Amino acid sequence: MTEQTPVQVFRKHEKMGRFTSPFFYLKLAILTAFVITPFLFPSFKSLDLAYKIMIFAVLVASFDILLGYTGILSFGHVMFFGIGAYSVALLLGKFAEPTYGFLFLGFVIAILVTMALALLISFLSLRVQAIFFAMVTLAIAEFAIILATKLSSFTGGEDGLIMSTPGIFKVSFNMGTFMGVDITGRIITYYFTLVICLILFLSMVRFIQSPLGRVMQAIRDNEPRAEAIGYKTFVFKATSICFGCLVSTILGGLYVMWVGYANPESVLGVPIMLDVLLMVIIGGMGTLYGALAGAAFLRLAYTFLPDLQNLAQDLMPNLHFVHSIMERWLLIFGILFILVVFFFPKGIIGTIQNYLKQRKTA
Amino acid sequence: MSESILKRHGSEAAIALAVVLCLLPLLGMDMTTYLTLTIAGVAMGMMIFLVASGMSLIFGLMDVINFAHGVCFAWGAYVAFSVFNHFENLVAADSLLANFTVFLMAVVAALIVVGIVGIIMERVLVRKVYGSHLFQILITFGGMVVLRELIKIVWGPNDEVMAIPLKFQGSWNIFDIIILKYPIYAILLGLVVFMIIQLVLKQTKLGKIVRAGVEDPDMVQAMGHNIFLMFTGVFAVGAALAAVGGVAMAIFSIQVYPDMGDAYLIFAFIVVIIGGLGSITGSLVGALIVGLSYNYVAYLLPPVAVGVNILIMVIILLIKPTGLFAAGK
Repeated sequence: MTEQTPVQVFRKHEKMGRFTSPFFYLKLAILTAFVITPFLFPSFKSLDLAYKIMIFAVLVASFDILLGYTGILSFGHVMFFGIGAYSVALLLGKFAEPTYGFLFLGFVIAILVTMALALLISFLSLRVQAIFFAMVTLAIAEFAIILATKLSSFTGGEDGLIMSTPGIFKVSFNMGTFMGVDITGRIITYYFTLVICLILFLSMVRFIQSPLGRVMQAIRDNEPRAEAIGYKTFVFKATSICFGCLVSTILGGLYVMWVGYANPESVLGVPIMLDVLLMVIIGGMGTLYGALAGAAFLRLAYTFLPDLQNLAQDLMPNLHFVHSIMERWLLIFGILFILVVFFFPKGIIGTIQNYLKQRKTA
Repeated sequence: MSESILKRHGSEAAIALAVVLCLLPLLGMDMTTYLTLTIAGVAMGMMIFLVASGMSLIFGLMDVINFAHGVCFAWGAYVAFSVFNHFENLVAADSLLANFTVFLMAVVAALIVVGIVGIIMERVLVRKVYGSHLFQILITFGGMVVLRELIKIVWGPNDEVMAIPLKFQGSWNIFDIIILKYPIYAILLGLVVFMIIQLVLKQTKLGKIVRAGVEDPDMVQAMGHNIFLMFTGVFAVGAALAAVGGVAMAIFSIQVYPDMGDAYLIFAFIVVIIGGLGSITGSLVGALIVGLSYNYVAYLLPPVAVGVNILIMVIILLIKPTGLFAAGK
């Protein structure tokens, strides 16, 4: 056997520890939690919460590929999510019957449009300065919102589109009871999405650990140097953007299969972009698993904030100023966002990772 | 030497583009409509210029892209709204002097309030993240959200109707061509601001220091000037310029609403990309191109108006990625 390079030794060590590390079991436990949620908490509210955590976790992870692993800030990420949502909603709700074929076609069209647009945007703005990318994507995303609102004969305007899903994904579909829970179309959609999300997430984990992903991290850390070593940074960045946007658009389609409607506010708007940014910052940039932590935190906050608000109302019934601030969640989230960027730029998972690393070396 | 040729070449191209844009719609519309749209377009261009010039100046000097610039615009509009509500009798008075007094008061109030907001923002938010574009964008984006929510708390979340000074309403009738009064005033305001900026930058010592700072901030600091004080000042002036644009726009569109800055943030981005980051003249030319093309297309094909602006931006990015009038950097 030939002598091994340090990288090979490291890889081998990592491979051997793969199934024995506590993190492996933690990940398995999280996955199990998602799998058994429909049976533990069969109410729609908790199922909806779990579904949205799942979708947003993967969406934020795909955003993290751009932001945390390639160092590109795109404000158009939610636009691609919207493209997927609108494409599926248009085919199933407006121009064709809800069948499996059209559902599949909806995803295919969304992916093709996304690829073309992502390539175009990266070709235009990556050649210049990195900040241009943020500006150009914000402009194009805003244009997409205007188009979706103004072309009401095509996209349904402000009201958006309503659609129903085909066959076994239909809400009214029921194939009997299993362990005391009705296996409805919702549950099937839930598991279908869980499988796709798992595939997407694992492929992203694989993506960033591939040689391609390593080059991207090199570009993030020091672009001129990566270029000097001989990598065509433009090609790598464009690949990363296309991959991230592809994941985003598939998720958009899945999301609309669950909620059954697509309108500018719910799939394209700035509030979702802010949510995604918050989740990635809270969870930790450059840690794919941080996306899950961030998504869980924010979705849970959204679900339980109304209760908190009522509590505040009961405790301090006379302080109208407090109420008007409580009503403006975005203000609280905006301040939280700034504070996290200042004081925990690594987010939850990043801070924990740092701590563990320090303990290991100490 | 070659750089100056490039610059001259760039400005010629820009003027040619602007002229072509001005003439293009002549093919399909009559003279009156054409003139009305042109005046509205130039007026809108001037308001966009006010936003974009501040953004461009901030970027040129301190290499910061301020995503909260659009919300400064909205703040200016709301401050003017409050001033107009407070001095109702001056707004309703049938005298040009009273109307202009209240207009100037609104402009000065917006300058002061948003200038202070700008100083706070620079000191609290931006100062800590110089040098990292990514964090600047994130922080100013967070600032944008907070400032917009503050508008909703202070003034309420709904659209409000803006009172218009009496003499600003109506129109002049010149040889059967109806020319609205207010857009002309807005154009004059924009030109005055443009000239003041150019005068300050080109003729005063302060302007000289700022221009030197655009070229090489470290050297300016080494010469004994407090560059950070300058950063704060330029940031505040940039935000205040956007606020003046907001005052002008609130009267132009007869309404104020919390999200009104968003569209202008996008316009400002398009303008600074077209005109070149850091150049005031570039901002003016870019803003005129955007304002005119937007109005012509909005008349012919409403939904794609912003699309045409983005298309122009794309073309400029393809031909001259640094913008028509790129600054020294």
